[in-house]
Amino acid sequence: MSEEEIYQKLVKICGSKFISKDPKLLEDFSTDLSFVKGNKPKYVVWLNKAKQIEDIVKLANSSGFSIIPVSSSPPIRYHGDTIPQKNNCIIVDLSRMNKILNIDRKNRVIMVEPGVVFGQLLPILQKKGLRLIQPLFPREGKSVLTTALERVPTTIPRYQWDSSDPLLCTEVIFGTGDLFRTGTAAGPGSIKEQKKSGQAQINPMGPTQFSPYRLIQGAQGSLGIVTWATLKLELKPTIQKVFHLQSDNLQDLLNLQHQLLKYRLGDEMLIINNINLACLVKQELEDIKELSSSLAEWNLIFVLAGRGKLAIDKISYQEGDIQQIIEDLELDHLEKVNYITDSKMIYALNESTSYPWRKRLKGSFQDIFFITSYEKIHEFINLVQNEISEDLGIYIQAINQGTSYHCEFDLYYNPNNKVESSLIKEKFLKISLELMESGAFFSRPYGVWAKEVFKRHEVSTRIALKKVKRIFDPNNILNPGVLCFDE
Amino acid sequence: MNEQEYKLMIKRCLRCSICKWIPQLQIKSQKYSTICPSIDMFNFHAYSAGGRIIIALALEMGKIKPSKDLMDIVYKCTECGGCAVACKFLNTLEPLEIIVKLREKLVSLGYGPMPRQQQYIDSIKNYNNPYNEPHEKRLAWLPNDIKIDPHAKTLYFVGCTSSYRRKEIAIATARVMNAANYPFRILSENEYCCGSPILRTGDKNSFINQLNKNIDIIEKEGIKTIVFSCAGCYDTFKVDYPLERDCNFKILHTTELFNELLDIGQLNLIKKVPLTVTYHDPCHLGRNSEPYEEWDGDELQMMPLVSINMPEKPKRCGKYGIYDSPRDLLNKIPGLNLIEMERIREYSYCCGAGGGVKSAFPEFALKTAKTRIEEAENTGADIITSACPFCSTNLKDGIVEKDSNLKFYDISELLLMALGSPNKSIKESSMEVA
Amino acid sequence: MVLEKEAFKEFQDVVGVGNIDDGDVITNVYAYNWCMEIFNYMEAKDPVPFSPIPKAVVLPSTTEEVQQVVKLCNKYRIVFKAQSTGLGPWNQPSVDNSIIIDLRRMNNIVKIDEKNLYAVVEPYVSGSQLQVEIMKYGLNCHMPGAGPMVSPLASATSMNGPGFTSPSTGHSARNVLAVEWVLPDGEIMRLGAYGQKNNPDFFYGDGPGPSLRGIMRGWAGTKSGLGVFTKVAVKLFPYPCSTDFIIKGNSPDYDFDIPDFMKLYVMDCGNFKKLEKVMLRIEEEEISFMCSYLSGFAVMAIFSNSIESLMDKVPIGQMKAPLVVIITARTKQEFTYKQKVMDFLIKKFKLENIIGTIYTPKPIFYAEALRSNLGLHGFIATGGFQSSKGVADTAAVCLRSTKSNIPLKQEFIKKKAIANDFGEGTWMTSYESGHYFHMESPTMFDQTEENSVKGMAEYMEKSNQLDLLKHLGAPFFVEGTRMHELFGPHMSNYHLWLRKIKETFDPNNISDSGFYISPQNK
Repeated sequence: MSEEEIYQKLVKICGSKFISKDPKLLEDFSTDLSFVKGNKPKYVVWLNKAKQIEDIVKLANSSGFSIIPVSSSPPIRYHGDTIPQKNNCIIVDLSRMNKILNIDRKNRVIMVEPGVVFGQLLPILQKKGLRLIQPLFPREGKSVLTTALERVPTTIPRYQWDSSDPLLCTEVIFGTGDLFRTGTAAGPGSIKEQKKSGQAQINPMGPTQFSPYRLIQGAQGSLGIVTWATLKLELKPTIQKVFHLQSDNLQDLLNLQHQLLKYRLGDEMLIINNINLACLVKQELEDIKELSSSLAEWNLIFVLAGRGKLAIDKISYQEGDIQQIIEDLELDHLEKVNYITDSKMIYALNESTSYPWRKRLKGSFQDIFFITSYEKIHEFINLVQNEISEDLGIYIQAINQGTSYHCEFDLYYNPNNKVESSLIKEKFLKISLELMESGAFFSRPYGVWAKEVFKRHEVSTRIALKKVKRIFDPNNILNPGVLCFDE
Repeated sequence: MNEQEYKLMIKRCLRCSICKWIPQLQIKSQKYSTICPSIDMFNFHAYSAGGRIIIALALEMGKIKPSKDLMDIVYKCTECGGCAVACKFLNTLEPLEIIVKLREKLVSLGYGPMPRQQQYIDSIKNYNNPYNEPHEKRLAWLPNDIKIDPHAKTLYFVGCTSSYRRKEIAIATARVMNAANYPFRILSENEYCCGSPILRTGDKNSFINQLNKNIDIIEKEGIKTIVFSCAGCYDTFKVDYPLERDCNFKILHTTELFNELLDIGQLNLIKKVPLTVTYHDPCHLGRNSEPYEEWDGDELQMMPLVSINMPEKPKRCGKYGIYDSPRDLLNKIPGLNLIEMERIREYSYCCGAGGGVKSAFPEFALKTAKTRIEEAENTGADIITSACPFCSTNLKDGIVEKDSNLKFYDISELLLMALGSPNKSIKESSMEVA
Repeated sequence: MVLEKEAFKEFQDVVGVGNIDDGDVITNVYAYNWCMEIFNYMEAKDPVPFSPIPKAVVLPSTTEEVQQVVKLCNKYRIVFKAQSTGLGPWNQPSVDNSIIIDLRRMNNIVKIDEKNLYAVVEPYVSGSQLQVEIMKYGLNCHMPGAGPMVSPLASATSMNGPGFTSPSTGHSARNVLAVEWVLPDGEIMRLGAYGQKNNPDFFYGDGPGPSLRGIMRGWAGTKSGLGVFTKVAVKLFPYPCSTDFIIKGNSPDYDFDIPDFMKLYVMDCGNFKKLEKVMLRIEEEEISFMCSYLSGFAVMAIFSNSIESLMDKVPIGQMKAPLVVIITARTKQEFTYKQKVMDFLIKKFKLENIIGTIYTPKPIFYAEALRSNLGLHGFIATGGFQSSKGVADTAAVCLRSTKSNIPLKQEFIKKKAIANDFGEGTWMTSYESGHYFHMESPTMFDQTEENSVKGMAEYMEKSNQLDLLKHLGAPFFVEGTRMHELFGPHMSNYHLWLRKIKETFDPNNISDSGFYISPQNK
């Protein structure tokens, strides 16, 4: 098929208004804040219907071009996963698919299209007395669905019953162009028929003896394009009480947090260093610096919450239990911090931000993140701090009901300073490799990490993933070059 | 269990494997959670009670034929009854009775007992004991200074194992009764094997002959109370004999008797016995010694497929076994500290000897004993004690095989120590007789 | 049928003498299972409780032995069926040309990681074994409704997963972290962080990138259709109350010291509409250890240990929509709070707790609740039961499914094929504090009566098809090629993808596909 023919087919699918060859736009998509080098796409197309996606995927299969799905427009992307690695690629921008399809208070579930962003969704949920299990102070313009697909860690560990939460069911178009619904959304019956019989597409497992939603999650758009997803919701508390304990001894805070996790006490819960905490709650650089220097290095933040008539009773019993734990662990010496207001903290935990909080310190950052176990946290922190001691943000998030920890190191730098940028790039790569060598598990291997991660992983996993790829995207038209599929 | 019940019951196994574990609610550790020595040793499902029930069904359906392999599996079971206790917490199956009946069927088809078992059955027929020992030597255990009252109303039925192998138990028992001035008699040359070794291997006809022989004598002698120091004989007389013939005599185990004597002050334990002991519940004194209760009720169909028994059929799952008497006894011994193993009472782990296993599969019996000895060691006890000479034999063998520091004493021997017996008696009582 | 001599020797060299048997007796024993007669009848075979007889049974003791066995199966083209505690017809081979891999010798608790709140188990560790070991750390595990004697590994990787404690301990599949998996071609795959070369560990089971747990299982596992699982890390939970677990007395009349902070509520919601409201509301409060709707008959059963002892509980049986809730707590203040919530809700919904007033259960009930032993009470009426349906989504669809099933069940009750539970026999539980719900329809039948077996099989087929017709979710026993080809076209043609997975990962079709899906044209 000639280029012109392909273009005409694209026009037929989505209309010429929603196709762009603008060089600047194409240039924007060929780069992001990561160090990944890539190519320029041929077009950017904006789609807003599942049928259009089906058609374009089928066209890609027959014509040989590849597709990278994105759910938000540039310029803010960080990890290199949407930069075309091959020529002959089209960006499918799903930001027009921005409907909140359904909010179901009774079943605590929401159905959203990929273009729905945090800034749009969170206020609506709050009005309805609901909340999403969300990551730490996400960007307003970030896609809610994509966040769930990427397994971005969320801040309430006890609500994360499985690593896949809050993602539930999905409608997806595989790389073959076939439409599929995962979980109980598969049927029997159409979604309409299911709803008529009382269903709400809230069981993510299946259908039957496999769970394709787990395959799509973490795949960086290389197995399927999701057109909607249901996500778990929780009820919004009416009272939230923030606890902030700080110490220069991280172990004390880890020990306390472990008990809270074990006994499922508390809602939002995280350990964060002074720099990151200051960036979260302050906006101006001077305020950030001032707060950062007044805080101890390590800060445990947790929230006790209650809802309705017995809200105070709930908070009260949890406080009592926690106090007992503190006494049993002889941690009475942990310093309680009161000068960050509850409202400021809750804002960072329950809202979204127009300007990414990680950019507040120096304008840019490189984040290194992985999953690890309780015992290894110290070791990895030491490793990173040996390499970089200044302008380093650290965020430790217990996940999956406390069975593991997301460890994140934010390397802050001034993007306009070439020397600094170059140094950070070097550090980023060096530290990442050292962490991998020491056993940090990079479960989300973006960009330059992918090759290194899979090199250090058993070959059987790679073989299996490639088999999966051949099933769901046999012609490798979806985001080729990511993960291990092209090795 | 009659033939009809058997045929129905063998279709009802759920293959849930509960028969492999002690009652689920009693599990306290992974290590001591199993109840069935057979599957613990041989691992294939066929070696569990559930597996043998399936064998019974497959035989009935003609899917398999009797064979040496089949015999091997069916006889590699100590008939300890642990499976029945576990199963019957909620179910109404009778795993042990099915296994017993299965052996009877095999014997009737010429596929049992096992050769070594047949040898001891022949020995019983020829010499009235399973050990091929001369019948005349049955009384050789008896020291000269034991007082026997030939007119006493209570018979001490010594049993073959105490008579020939575990003489120290017979001696200690006799001495304790003497110390309590409790008159007893023995049958002397008229004491014959109780028949338990025959019964457990499925030779029902031979067992009935033995049973009749014994009851005839007891009736002729006008005996009203029989005391046993052997759990096997005790169980056989108490539970199995009444199923075949009316028995108009009282049955007591020595642990029951000695407790009574202590309570009424006829026995005085004056010497401290500063030992830490753990007690092994013999299967035949514990869960298996619960007598069958006659049930005269009706099966009522409440609705299609659902019948109930009115009144409720008694469920024989070890509730009324003898567990407390031995423990009370031990707790009354001054200075003695009793520590329990995890698997005790109706969910005690078998010593490994019963059901004809000791003779037919000595390695299996020994391995099971070692398992039990290890469990005893883990309590920190110095001594393992029990109230059955057959358990005594196998556990002692296990101690030797394992090179354990544990010692074994029968309860009667510990009592003797507490009575302040002269050294001679203790020496007698700790003498090993092959 | 026996193994060829050469094959036998090779298998024996792997597992050792005494750990393989191809004799008549052993293999026939392994061919038997509970409900096999029903599944045979469904496949138009004689309703006998025996499946095809495997050629041999092997007992490997390590992952490496399992791997070698699987490779030999590929070499000799013999299908394998792996099983651990082995309860249920889904443990049975579907063809004669098969061997059973009995994982009984793999019974280690590999790791209890108190700091990271998970345990790693091999296939033949039972639920109660795991529970008692982790209780020492103040922790608990999820146990499936089948009971504490079954394998958590089997439940997590290969079977289903609902349990009585699902409100607080979730679903087996969602508690899985890393897995060690012998694939049908004999390669070993370790999921998640366990597959790393540096510091392999069990704390995370997904990635790098996509999660291969996605091919491992769905709401149901593959029942040995896609290899053998030799280790699994399962997420743990706080033990719900004091870990003192003191049983007194003798079986079956045990007594139990009920923990201080444990309370039972049994309340009649009167109708399904109210039941749904109440269940959802209680679960939103995140206070329950157990929260189940059971039919009146089933509530009688969980408090009884024999059919006769059911008879004095008829008043309970007359409840129209009984809800059974257990709350537990570690501390007095937690317990006070939870009771307060329950009191508030009871008042709000005008409910009455019959416990302590109309009925007081024996203390042993509480022990059975803590040890997940309640499911076994389903057998006491007729000695046999099996469940149809099994949808897991909203409370509404669960109750709709229950309701729609009643006339069908009554039809078969009338035929005297199944026992009379008035058609309402259902077990419905919440998962994860009410985030979704599961129902199944336990139905009592008599496995010794052919009429009952045949009737039960017909009833189950029709009951499951009702879900298809009325869009009531899919039953959890949609497995086997026939069922997949029936349901698949109505469910995004999932069966085509499932088949591709099978064909890709098991090109020789060596992992028994009887309860999974067969490759095309085989």
